[in-house]
Amino acid sequence: MIKRPNYPPMDTQIVMCTVLIALVPGVIAMTLFFGVGVLLNLATAIPAALAAEAICLGLRQRPILPRLNDLSAVLTGALIALSLPQAAPWWLIILASTSSIMLGKHLYGGLGQNPVNPAMLGYALMLISAPVTMTTLWIDPLATPDLSTAWLAYLGQSSDAVTGATMLDLYRTEFRALTAAEASQNPLFTQAHLGFIYGYEWVALAYLVGGLWLIYQRVITWHTPMGLLVTLTVVSAFFSFDPDTATPVWIHLTAGAGIFAAFFILTDPVSGATSPKGRLWFAIGVGILTYLIRTYGLYPDAIAFAVLLMNFAVPMIDQYTRPRIMGRGSSIRGSGGQS
Amino acid sequence: MADYQIRRCERQLEGGIHPETQKALSTTDSCIFVGDPKRLVFPIHFSGGGPGEALVAVADIVSQGTPIIKCQSGITHVASRAGKVIDIIDHEIAHPAATKSASIIIEPSGLEDQNYLDPLVWPFDADTLRNRAIEAGILGLGGAGFPSFKKWSEGMQTLIINGAECQPYLTTDDTLMRIDTHSMIRGASMLSQSLDIKTIIIGIEDNKPEVLEAIESALKESCSDCFFDVVLLDTKYPSGSERHLVWLTLGIEVPTGSHAVESGVIVHNPGTLAALSRAIDGKPITDRIVTLTGEALAAPQNIVVPIGAPISHLIEATDTNPESLTSITIGGPMMGYSVTNFTAGITKTTNCLLAREVDIPPESPCIRCGACATVCPVRLQPQQMVFALKGGSLDRAIHEGLTDCIECAACNAVCPSHIPLAEWFRLGRFEARDKANDQRLAAKARERFEARNMRLKRISLEKEAKRAVRQAKTADALEKARKARKESA
Repeated sequence: MIKRPNYPPMDTQIVMCTVLIALVPGVIAMTLFFGVGVLLNLATAIPAALAAEAICLGLRQRPILPRLNDLSAVLTGALIALSLPQAAPWWLIILASTSSIMLGKHLYGGLGQNPVNPAMLGYALMLISAPVTMTTLWIDPLATPDLSTAWLAYLGQSSDAVTGATMLDLYRTEFRALTAAEASQNPLFTQAHLGFIYGYEWVALAYLVGGLWLIYQRVITWHTPMGLLVTLTVVSAFFSFDPDTATPVWIHLTAGAGIFAAFFILTDPVSGATSPKGRLWFAIGVGILTYLIRTYGLYPDAIAFAVLLMNFAVPMIDQYTRPRIMGRGSSIRGSGGQS
Repeated sequence: MADYQIRRCERQLEGGIHPETQKALSTTDSCIFVGDPKRLVFPIHFSGGGPGEALVAVADIVSQGTPIIKCQSGITHVASRAGKVIDIIDHEIAHPAATKSASIIIEPSGLEDQNYLDPLVWPFDADTLRNRAIEAGILGLGGAGFPSFKKWSEGMQTLIINGAECQPYLTTDDTLMRIDTHSMIRGASMLSQSLDIKTIIIGIEDNKPEVLEAIESALKESCSDCFFDVVLLDTKYPSGSERHLVWLTLGIEVPTGSHAVESGVIVHNPGTLAALSRAIDGKPITDRIVTLTGEALAAPQNIVVPIGAPISHLIEATDTNPESLTSITIGGPMMGYSVTNFTAGITKTTNCLLAREVDIPPESPCIRCGACATVCPVRLQPQQMVFALKGGSLDRAIHEGLTDCIECAACNAVCPSHIPLAEWFRLGRFEARDKANDQRLAAKARERFEARNMRLKRISLEKEAKRAVRQAKTADALEKARKARKESA
């Protein structure tokens, strides 16, 4: 028996807690520009996720408290809450959150066993089941709703004055008919502080700050975010030779879930690739798929589907990206006939 | 003055960890001899060097240095004190399996009765030195207990003295290199000269400035013909692993499945070489330095103790009541094992007794964070290996590189889910060895079976041929007889 060293540097709970703290700047920015709906999303999704976790653990006859304490369900709840439209009704949030935990996580054996990202599974499920709700209830940051409007939206009576499609969606549908110069006359662009898109730019920046802090804390490595953001930039830049029809690079990076996903979604260790090289390939794959689905697919934002598809590729990526073991001529590839 | 240089290692250990070293706890200026215990315990099969046989019988009177155990490898263990063999019984042993095994019990008489070997006179050849190492019971004193003479083949280029001592808490080698520097240098020189090795590398971690000073002054006084290359390593666990030390100091990656010796490098613990130096003068190994440390001991320190002294005797030497401890770790916090019975005697490989209370947090599921892979010094994917082992797929784990694991337990130290990865790998490697052994035996049995079938077939064919010849002869004779009868008729 080996005695364990007496310096526990990290704990699953601390890892999850660090990620939650890193989300705070993003949450603040989102609340400022998209209203209290963001907080309502969080306040609904997190308890729902915890309840789903407790029920599943109970049904599976597993100890409940230690697993609730590891904060993984809180994190899943928070991630799904931040992914959903800010004017989403309560039932959508609860469905998304509970299905994330139940179908995305416990169906496969709970913490550490899920083959796909639970939050993205819940998101994709909602997008397929309730496409209209999921695509039209995004808040227009130029018309940030007050508390009562947000509350009404929460109860299912959203007002068209404050909601609409996302910028990526607009580019995919309406802006196609416009030239780049005409599209840039949209008030969201003309009123932007940093010259990108009003509101979105600050949210993206806030998530970037949180994400960089996570790298600094060594909870995640640079490979995943770098892989996604660079791929997305390169691919969208390559295809934007005609600015009148293509979605600009900076829209791809700041308007959708790009930065948020790069640091907080793709970095889920359980469903992602495990070696640094594997993480890079995983992120590059997500980047390419995201561009393809955004441009040629039916859905405006594509991160969720891209992540899910790449999650299925992870076992293979893992087999072909092992580092070379010291003392061996080359790295081991493939499964060696072992299942 | 010997030719030497001191340099900083230009290579960096990939992976590895920086545990709190806790070395100050047991570092002392001197190293005291403690009084003899009431009895000495020598396990016949577990003293190092493989299973052995007793050379003495109950009631025999032995001197200090009288051979008492001869091992399969040839290594001889001697009585560490003069006294009387009072019993040969199954006794507790200091071993991870914590079982009882046949042991020789000696009651020291306290007499200065020594039975040493004749000193060797330089020049002597490698064979003479090998025989001396066998007679004097020289084993790797770093902890593995590999018979040293087996490493001394012809055609070796380099001797590395492994003074890294990277495990936390341990200061055994540190102490030896400070107080017994001359013996170490002399042993290394003698060994190198008899094997025609020109370069001796001394690898030490840079947290031992006093050792460096001691080595430098000893080298200035030494008149060795060898070139001494003193390499200062960054303090990082596990830089003292044999493979890693060879790579750090020479840039040679020892191929998987082979030993440093096969790459022309001999690696020895400082204590082994100091013991060799004394063996050349005729004195077999009777004592060793042991680090007694840990927060649970009243006075942590390094002491010189006779081989075979019970663990409880050592604990008492630190002003601590053995009964206040529930278990003690032998061999350091990372790779050691715990024992709960303190009557077992220390062996030549016991370098450290560590006493402390550790809270092991409960294990939670692996989240594949990859922290273990980041610190793995051989670049394994521990998370994938443990997944395979927990799933019962030994073959998959072996495919992932299980047999390359050096069991350094750096992965354990960083796992946020507190999974005892190294324990899984130790068990898995044991099973893998077992399996390989089974396969070898099965292959042998098949070979034997096939050889037997061939032999039986050959015999039956020969019989067949003989019978055919016989039948032909008979038929011939009959034919002749018939013809003769016809003719006569």
